Amino acid sequence: MANRKRNKGLFFLLLIGLLLGATLLSLGAGQVKISAGAMLAVLAKLAGLPAEWLGTAPTPEQIAVIQHIRLPRTIVGLLVGAALAVSGAVMQGVFGNPLADPGMIGISAGASLGAVIAVSLGLTAVSLYYMPFFALIGALAAVAATVALAMRDGKIPVMPLLLAGVAVSMFVGAVTSGMLTFMNEYRLREFLFWMVGGLDYRRWEHVGLAVGPVLTGIVILCALARHLNILAMGEQEARAVGMPVVRFRLVLLFIAAVTTATAVCVSGSIGFVGLVVPHVLRLLLGPEHRVLLPACALAGAIFLVPCDTLGRVLIPPAEIRVGIITALTGAPYFLYLLRRAQKAGGAL
Amino acid sequence: MTINAGAPLRAEQVAVALGGRTILRDCSFAIAPGEFVGIIGPNGAGKSTLMRGLRGLLPLTEGKVEVFGEPIHAMGDKQAARLVAYMQQDVNVGFGYTALEVVLAGRYPYLDWWRNETDADREIARRYMRFTGVEELADKPVNQVSGGERQRILLAKALAQETPLIFLDEPTASLDLVYQEEIFRHCQTVCAHGKSVLLIAHDLKQAAKFCSRLILVAGGGILADGMPEEVVTPENLDQAYGLHSAVFQNQVTGNLDIHTFVGCERQGKANRIHVIGGGGAVGPILRNLYERDYHVSAGVLQDGDTDADVAAAFGIVYVPARAFTAIDEKQAEAHRRLLETADWVILGNVFLGQQNLDNLKAAFLARRLIVVEDSPITDRDCSDGEATRLYGELLQKTRARVVDQETLLREMAADKLFR
Repeated sequence: MANRKRNKGLFFLLLIGLLLGATLLSLGAGQVKISAGAMLAVLAKLAGLPAEWLGTAPTPEQIAVIQHIRLPRTIVGLLVGAALAVSGAVMQGVFGNPLADPGMIGISAGASLGAVIAVSLGLTAVSLYYMPFFALIGALAAVAATVALAMRDGKIPVMPLLLAGVAVSMFVGAVTSGMLTFMNEYRLREFLFWMVGGLDYRRWEHVGLAVGPVLTGIVILCALARHLNILAMGEQEARAVGMPVVRFRLVLLFIAAVTTATAVCVSGSIGFVGLVVPHVLRLLLGPEHRVLLPACALAGAIFLVPCDTLGRVLIPPAEIRVGIITALTGAPYFLYLLRRAQKAGGAL
Repeated sequence: MTINAGAPLRAEQVAVALGGRTILRDCSFAIAPGEFVGIIGPNGAGKSTLMRGLRGLLPLTEGKVEVFGEPIHAMGDKQAARLVAYMQQDVNVGFGYTALEVVLAGRYPYLDWWRNETDADREIARRYMRFTGVEELADKPVNQVSGGERQRILLAKALAQETPLIFLDEPTASLDLVYQEEIFRHCQTVCAHGKSVLLIAHDLKQAAKFCSRLILVAGGGILADGMPEEVVTPENLDQAYGLHSAVFQNQVTGNLDIHTFVGCERQGKANRIHVIGGGGAVGPILRNLYERDYHVSAGVLQDGDTDADVAAAFGIVYVPARAFTAIDEKQAEAHRRLLETADWVILGNVFLGQQNLDNLKAAFLARRLIVVEDSPITDRDCSDGEATRLYGELLQKTRARVVDQETLLREMAADKLFR
């Protein structure tokens, strides 16, 4: 027991180390070369710390690139990665189904549609917060539709859930595409943003938009992790030990939807993070959500930020959007899981 | 069974429905502390549905269920879970939760929503895992253990809820015999501590063996409720399962035993068959006659003889005699009355001595006689030749048919014997 606890402690230290590494890598990589020393000097300067002892004085260009381009982009990446991975783990627990994922059950697509509606109505000019609000409504509507389509006798079987999710995502996606096509300010980049998801041109205002809801959502979800354990053991079992199942499902799903919708607002819909990260961590740490959810928050960030970095440095000066990179790594993994689930007779 | 207000469980006129169809109605009973109640009944009779209704997980269409005088359907979720633990059928614990994590879930009703399990909760969980013998599996994922281990883990979880009432829905389904009995024994121990257990069982014999009381659910309601021997009767089993059976106390195990067979319509004209037995010679003959629905009588059978046990098990009329004593006048007279009125008499392949020589003498009065002979009479004569002499005389006088037992049973099965 004590040994396992120490192992988990070490694992979390490792995650934090990887997170720092991924962050620094993301800040350093790109078209403008910045050495490690220069980068640390910039960070120290931005934090108001003395930087002279580092020896290298950063150029104003380096300072500007880090402060206005790479730092907000990286922070948005960290937040989105954490939000998607935690939401994914929560949805898998809520549905008792390891293949549930924000992208898979329509939440991301619904949030995109909501956000695009807010943009097309010109509400984003009135207040920045209209967009996440609309995105949340879209996300909730989409997940409600998916669940309603998949539900049989109070149970939500795996395959119908996935099929309903695909159908809802396609339908909502088509509406989103249609709206984007007819919008005045239609541009290809805008279209790509909502369809594939990316972190390019993310600014401090995006950080400001996402940081509150995402961190709050993650903290609340981690605080409810014990209940998620009970729920994930199966609805009937949860009811037998006295859990108000419907209430907890709704609360957990709502908070996960808020977190996801916020992430979608600042990054578009990025798929598979919420599927791959929780699954790998469950293999390493077990299904105890009090450990799993914090680990997902760290590992989601660790997964997404290097994916973004990779997309930036692979074929310069062009960028591969982070949504493409995650889909390229996540889709094969999803298929592998699906295949294994079928072999095991549906139980994963 | 007296119904008092503060009983651990009290169901009144309960009706439950599944998918809009009423499955059971008019179910009323009360369970006292320390009772181990088995619910039996054919597949699809609504046992599980009733249990879900009693636990408050399924709305009742009529009636009410009270736990210690309080209606369970009006209780808070956690309050109900502190009074009744419920181990369900076919539980699939996904995601690789460990045994300890699953058992700890049994502590959920005691924790405020913001609290984590304390060391005391963990100690309670481990104590019940020790009780059901799965403590060493604590850190093993439940989806990697055997069926027997899984059921014992889930039982530990139900016990960890520390409730005065425990519901178990077929906890022994698909388990090896050893594990089945183990689960029943754990329940008995729990009941000895004053808790009440309500268990759905699919094995009648085991339910009768371990439970202090049985409730037979069939035909849309409760068919019988009482001590095992009151509930497990041929009439009830016939009505509930459409099963031809004989229920008797097994002399070897002392348990209630059930012999079932396929019922059939009798073809022959013969009505009453009398069998002369003793020393275990006619057990199979009696059983086959009974299964084929003949009116059977037997005599004179000594106490403790397996022939007497078989006759008792199937409710066959027979003349009893004390062991190791000669047949007396009254018995001889009673025997002759039964024998003379029978359409056919079968004399089994019995050993004959001074004590039962009268059985052979009585055989002279048979209207029609069949003599079973598997071994020569001289081998079975314990009376210094008197039996051999009488036997020869009997065959000569009555011109009885002599057959071996195998032929007899084969002809009986083919309805060719009593022609």
